[in-house]
Amino acid sequence: MAATTSGVAGPRRPNPLEICAALCAGSLLTLMLLSNGMMAAHTTPIFASLTAHGVGTAVAVLLLALFWLRADKGPKAPRARAPLWAYLGGISGALTVVVSTVVVNSSLALTGTMALGLAGQVVLALIFDATGALGMERRLPRRNDLLALAAIIAGTLLIIFARGSAA
Amino acid sequence: MIWMILLGIGSGMLVTLSRQLNGRLALSTSAMQSSFWNHAVGFAVLVPCALVAGSLWPAEAASAHWFAWVGGAIGVVFVASGSWLIPRLGAALTGGLLVAGQMLSSVALDLLRGVDAMLALQLAGVVLILFGVYLSRRN
Repeated sequence: MAATTSGVAGPRRPNPLEICAALCAGSLLTLMLLSNGMMAAHTTPIFASLTAHGVGTAVAVLLLALFWLRADKGPKAPRARAPLWAYLGGISGALTVVVSTVVVNSSLALTGTMALGLAGQVVLALIFDATGALGMERRLPRRNDLLALAAIIAGTLLIIFARGSAA
Repeated sequence: MIWMILLGIGSGMLVTLSRQLNGRLALSTSAMQSSFWNHAVGFAVLVPCALVAGSLWPAEAASAHWFAWVGGAIGVVFVASGSWLIPRLGAALTGGLLVAGQMLSSVALDLLRGVDAMLALQLAGVVLILFGVYLSRRN
């Protein structure tokens, strides 16, 4: 699995399966935010995030059990154990909900929160890629990666502000 | 105000940080296992937060629409996808393509629901995003 990322070829272009997976996952995010937003409006943002994480934990257990039942149980090559800090992604995920709830309710509103969030997300991602932070492979983006990002960001900002100005 | 702006940028950085950590965990385990830990650890953090903020079970919870309950199940697949993608594409391209999918689907959803605020501008955004996805495929 990790073999696809090793080697000296440097950043490669994404294949159609990866593009499709990312676009589908992004669509799932739209549905997830719709669902969590519905719960947040009906109860509180914290409770919405709490239930999302609780339901998510239960569903992940079910899926892992299903995978485990279907998996080939033969001997496997041992893999290096993950460092303990790698288990902490859920903390920053949970914190995101709290922080963005505060910002959405400020004068920045939803439009400002989304635009700033997008900026923070992309800037840190570029820093992570360029430095190979947190045990991931270092990769300098290709010129077309940067152009692609710029076009996606510009299009996203257009959509965000079109909605914001109409609201 | 400056603090709110910094917090807004910070909330986006937290998304990237979380995805990077989950991706690292997936390298040693699997994408689905990283998604499990993401949700379990997040849940453990949110229980005390919910207790401080009020209660673990607000009165309105019981009457919530069924769709309000499925976000977590969708999130499991979303986080696992991110963990699968990030070692392959890197943080920036993964984030960019996920945002592309999010925006394209949300415009489609708005059209389906008959919400068409400044449609021309939004469609221009869609064209730019599609062009960006096309560019990512080029050498």
